[in-house]
Amino acid sequence: MFTRNDLTLLFRVLAERMGAEQDYLAELDGEIGDADHGVAMSVGFAAAAKALSEGEADAPRLADGMVLAARALLNEIGATTGPLYASALLHAAKLLGQETEIPLARLPEVVVAISEGVAARGLGKPGDKTMLDAWAPAAHVARAGLMAGQDVLDTMTKAAQAAAEGAEATRAMMAAKGRAARLGPRSLGHLDPGAASAAALLDSMAQWVAAKAGRSVQ
Amino acid sequence: MKNGPTTRGAGGARGPLRFGEDPLLWAAWLYYEDGMTQGDIATQMGISRASVNAYLADARERGIVSIEIDPDRFRALSIAQTLQEHFDLMDCLVIPSDGRGKPLIDRLGDAGAQVLARTAQSGDTIAITWGRTMLSLADSIRTSGLQDLRVVQATGGTTAKIPWTPEACATTLSDALGARCIPISAPAIVSSPEMRELLLREPVIAEQMGVLSEANRIILGISSLRPESTIHTSGFFDAVDMQDYGNAAVGSIAGRLISASGEAVAGPLEPRTIGIDLDSLRTIPCRIGVAGGMDKVQAILAALRGKLVNVMVTDADTARAVLASEGRDIGAPKRTNKAGSALPERLRVKKFLNRPQDAVNEAIAGAVLAHEGLLSPIDGAPRALKAAIGPRPGKVGLVIGGGSGHEPGFLGYVGPGLADAVAIGNIFAAPPPDPILAATLAADGGAGVLHIFGNFSGDVMNFEMAADLAAAKGIPVRSIITTDDIASAPVETRAARRGVAGNVFVFKIAGAACDRMLPLDRCAELANRATQRCYTMGIALEPGTSLETRRPSFRIGPDEMEVGVGVHGERGIASDRLVSADAATDLIVDRILTEMAPAEGDRVALLVNSLGSTPQLELYIINRRLRQRLRARGVTVHRTLIGHYYTSLDMAGVSITAMLLDDELAALLDHPCQSPAWRVV
Repeated sequence: MFTRNDLTLLFRVLAERMGAEQDYLAELDGEIGDADHGVAMSVGFAAAAKALSEGEADAPRLADGMVLAARALLNEIGATTGPLYASALLHAAKLLGQETEIPLARLPEVVVAISEGVAARGLGKPGDKTMLDAWAPAAHVARAGLMAGQDVLDTMTKAAQAAAEGAEATRAMMAAKGRAARLGPRSLGHLDPGAASAAALLDSMAQWVAAKAGRSVQ
Repeated sequence: MKNGPTTRGAGGARGPLRFGEDPLLWAAWLYYEDGMTQGDIATQMGISRASVNAYLADARERGIVSIEIDPDRFRALSIAQTLQEHFDLMDCLVIPSDGRGKPLIDRLGDAGAQVLARTAQSGDTIAITWGRTMLSLADSIRTSGLQDLRVVQATGGTTAKIPWTPEACATTLSDALGARCIPISAPAIVSSPEMRELLLREPVIAEQMGVLSEANRIILGISSLRPESTIHTSGFFDAVDMQDYGNAAVGSIAGRLISASGEAVAGPLEPRTIGIDLDSLRTIPCRIGVAGGMDKVQAILAALRGKLVNVMVTDADTARAVLASEGRDIGAPKRTNKAGSALPERLRVKKFLNRPQDAVNEAIAGAVLAHEGLLSPIDGAPRALKAAIGPRPGKVGLVIGGGSGHEPGFLGYVGPGLADAVAIGNIFAAPPPDPILAATLAADGGAGVLHIFGNFSGDVMNFEMAADLAAAKGIPVRSIITTDDIASAPVETRAARRGVAGNVFVFKIAGAACDRMLPLDRCAELANRATQRCYTMGIALEPGTSLETRRPSFRIGPDEMEVGVGVHGERGIASDRLVSADAATDLIVDRILTEMAPAEGDRVALLVNSLGSTPQLELYIINRRLRQRLRARGVTVHRTLIGHYYTSLDMAGVSITAMLLDDELAALLDHPCQSPAWRVV
């Protein structure tokens, strides 16, 4: 099962990962943006993990937790990333409804909800060189895995892989949204920092599922 | 003899005195300056032709002669070579990207026609796909005098609503080549797989497909799947949800979708498509791809990776972008650096900071203390400030805001006659909705609130969310998104432009309108007019420093400058050669005047703004040239602001804003105001 406490633990792992990626993301963002993405993700996910941990007693449902995390991300980050991930987690909250826990096998549904939440808020499309270029292929793999009744670790691993490939593909994209869009052709050849951080989040999620299931990621 | 008397000496003739004892110099002169043939030079110098040849080679090697190829062409050549090697192509042609007015599609068509004309042979069966570039190619090819050519459609037909149908491309090409034309008498996409099987069994179509399978050469366009691509108007993908393809498709060739690695993407259309499939395509020995444009980079890269193309025709910018995506960076041509070695680079920049993460809060605290009579905190909202005098009943409240790092933007523009409250984000990051809402509540005098912010996705999202929250509390909000940075997008897509230093004028106009107790709609209308009439452009000499890493956020070469920079420490639209103050000013003024198109006698307000570390002395030098240019255009200056008004941390550089005034805007600009950064009495 995936419990409310698991949600807190998962966000701690995500926050740790964003802390570890902070300098790398800042460097990527310095090339085509304003170099703030590393700090934003690291500070934002740390705040979300803290809110989830502190609010566990008052917000026992999974959806409550998602709303807490969304508010923390939104108010800690601002920028573009805040509203996008807040919208993503609110979509996930809607999906989880009244549940206090769900079978671990439903976790890919959360990936789909996140992707849809990002797309709804940012109005972006795949190919725009944004975080959606990592989330959308991951969501596609997650949907396929759910339909086929595939093992959850297998699905999450493949979703993470699809996100990594999607992030890598942003090199060949010219930014159509966000600050890099003003650079036009100069954004080509560079990884999109938002897609890179999304791929890292999915990688950490897959690893967390592996640890939870007592297995390692192939 | 043209080169004067010569005396015979050992091993040949003795040259004129000016060449001394250097036969290399003499030979080189005769060859390059006098334009003589090597044979004539041999006779004149009294040596063998082989020696002349050796002398000339020697002269190049020793640097007596240096040969320069036009840099644009040279770049195209070297890019073509790299592209050919990297993707293992048979051949590659790269044309310069700057066509001096002639559209890229036509120039690519010309280039593709050249390549086809040069490679085609008698007896060839040439398949052709469809699209604008293909039709342009077919239109511009000249008769080759070849015999027994066949031109065959690579796919079935499409809607006739477009002029570049498969039929049109094939017939135009066959007419131009004097070839026999073989159509595919079926639609490219049919309604069902069964229908496809049925049609392919029709003898006429089977025969046509047979010819297609005999093609030994194919000329093909590469389509992107971006929304602006013509593929969406072709009828090819009508009524197909791209979701079905799991977003795996990045491009299309001959109506087949391809993945980033150039593999076929399976989907509902595949069994319903009539035309060449990708496996058959790969067996054609000569596959000439003709495509260019930044929107197609992903698709072209996929086609090259998947070996769907083995002769590539494209333009230099596209080719460079394709290579950059593969991690091969072919930079702009190297400029000779007359200054010699590069200046030492700053690896770590010294800063007055405590902990970087405290910088914004500490600066806000200091600002409130410095401007006690003007600014005051808002309870419960540490990232929002209000004017000390508070909102006036019946007056429209003005709320401004954005990221930190632009000081005195934005809190410097709070006070009587300017903004009523401000929301403050992290460094270069939009504030979240909460402080914007707090500022909105603090500014509300019962007549509605006006939000003004620059056009950045983060600011737009957060201000929109805050406006919704305010509306839910019964406060009507109107939003003005500023778009004054003329370098950031072409005039046709003005709404996509960034909002930068012109904000200062827009805040002032709106603040004065609010102060005159005008209603919300009227204030919004005036603020909108102000942003429409502001024209800003910036140039940077040195990058800004990240507070976290204390390192420059990117690098500007020792003899380069970044043109068209914004205000977030980011790169400009282009990198250019460093020029003098006057030339840099002209670069900006030319762009501004072209777009503003002022009439003689028009009035403007000017803002000559330091991006952070450019001192006042340099701003005055720039202003001097700016005024010379405006005088020459017959434009008068109503008011000038010069100094640090809207910065990008410690970036070295300048932005110039000109606002074209009318009487109403001029009066509002002169309306009294009092704020930390701007005072009008």
